[in-house]
Amino acid sequence: MGHKLQLVHAKPSRTWAVVLSWSLFALGIGLYIQTAHRRHQDNTDDRIVPTIRQMARSTYDAAFKPAEDEEQAIAENASLPQRFFSSMLWKDTKATSRRFFYSLLLLIPAVIVGLHMGLFPYVGVFFSRFVLFFDKIVALSLLPILFIAFGIDELSKIMLIVIGVTPTIILDTCNLARSVPREQIVKAFTLGAGDFDVAYRVVLRQIAPRVLNSIRLNLKAVMLFLFAGEMIASTDGLAYRIALLRRHMGMDVIIPYVLWVALLLFLVDLAMRIVNRKLHPWFHEA
Amino acid sequence: MALIHIENVSVAYGSPSRPVLSNIDLRIEEGEFVCLLGQTGCGKSTLLRLILGSEQPTAGRVLIDGVERRQPDRTCGFVPQKYSLFPDKTVLGNITFGPEVNEFNLLTRVTPRYFRRRRQFRQEAMHYIGRLGLHDADANKYPDQLSGGMQQRVAIAQALINKPRILLLDEAFSALDPGTRKDMQRLIRQLWRDTGITVLFVTHNTQEALYLSSRVIVLAKEAPDQGSSIALELPVPELCPEVQIPTLAMRLDYASGCTREPEDASFATA
Repeated sequence: MGHKLQLVHAKPSRTWAVVLSWSLFALGIGLYIQTAHRRHQDNTDDRIVPTIRQMARSTYDAAFKPAEDEEQAIAENASLPQRFFSSMLWKDTKATSRRFFYSLLLLIPAVIVGLHMGLFPYVGVFFSRFVLFFDKIVALSLLPILFIAFGIDELSKIMLIVIGVTPTIILDTCNLARSVPREQIVKAFTLGAGDFDVAYRVVLRQIAPRVLNSIRLNLKAVMLFLFAGEMIASTDGLAYRIALLRRHMGMDVIIPYVLWVALLLFLVDLAMRIVNRKLHPWFHEA
Repeated sequence: MALIHIENVSVAYGSPSRPVLSNIDLRIEEGEFVCLLGQTGCGKSTLLRLILGSEQPTAGRVLIDGVERRQPDRTCGFVPQKYSLFPDKTVLGNITFGPEVNEFNLLTRVTPRYFRRRRQFRQEAMHYIGRLGLHDADANKYPDQLSGGMQQRVAIAQALINKPRILLLDEAFSALDPGTRKDMQRLIRQLWRDTGITVLFVTHNTQEALYLSSRVIVLAKEAPDQGSSIALELPVPELCPEVQIPTLAMRLDYASGCTREPEDASFATA
């Protein structure tokens, strides 16, 4: 008898790997084009499944035509970048990004709290029960309360993200800080370090790449809460546009927007990964 | 007065409490090289941590220079078996860590004086790098780019640059291959002779204990449910005649193994 092929050990060649990894994309796009074509044969005004051509035209309009409420009209012969920066897409992206980065900034205190919780038993006792409780609250269920308490402007949306994501980050950082080998901390003290040298120069430095990875994993949650807030109460932003166009069945804009958001999130994640590697050359992902 | 004085110390862990050490009474003089020998799980590392100050005895007192140990500080340099270096710092960063935190806190680390001093720290660190048999080119490597033996050399340099009175090594060479281990033993013995530092070395290797120390202390349990106590104290003459070594080794082995469990059981608790 010959050897029975073990699928676990069968590795695809480079070509096969490329073909296989893109095949689902090809299948999806193919099915979409086919569906759009069929529906447009039945009804030329179909809005549910716009053709690629329609989407391209709408994307161009969104990205390179001045936004509706843009004050000064852009000259006809303005360059593409100029036109992009006065477009609807750019305006929405800017509004959403601003909220997104404010939320990321507010995660810094969360990391600091988590670090101290993990390292100083008194701080740990003080916070941990409360944070664990807060972690179990479904953030979206707080949304009405936030709108009542903070109004429907920026603050309530940012608070939603903070409440939704910070407990996770705090607990994660706390666990990471606790998992630093005891020897390291004792060693630092025998070298004459103080509490805060140990906290910031030994523990934080060591867990920083893992904390960044934890934040990367939570980017999706940040976006989720941000979009929920924008869809319900906002006057600009990417999610606001998507929610608005739903009323007009504007699938030709919604689909490009969804892909644009995915691309942006991918780029942020990639940037953080590169920064992480540059900042912590000693770190090897296990 | 003895430099380290361990006064009737007992340690028990957990509840129901399980005794680890019982009634240890020990004096270590300045300049001694003491090896703590014993089987895995006999509490020799616990005794080291008591002197280090990272653990407190259940009963009795641990005194250094007549002062009771409360928490780890600069009196004792510490070289553990694993995790002995900060993985996020280069060799140079690891060695200069001690001098830096001694003179500067997080806020004064941005002053120009800090940057001037840091240059001096680095020179001093380079001196230690040479003295411990490391190459200058290793200075900017991260710990995981070094072999186990090199890492322990850096860890010793890191401790020595602070000039502690006592150096505590916890199975520091146990993970190294035999050749490297021999080199490291020679190195630590040389450093002890040169600096006159007091060394406490924890090991489970009888030959190592005999080769290194000026006194071997064997910890062993009299019965399985009891804490360990000192089973044998053996001064090792400076120029120990080769022929005596097997006899001494046998005595030590006998002392540490008087309630020897089956070999595999002692491995399982490693």
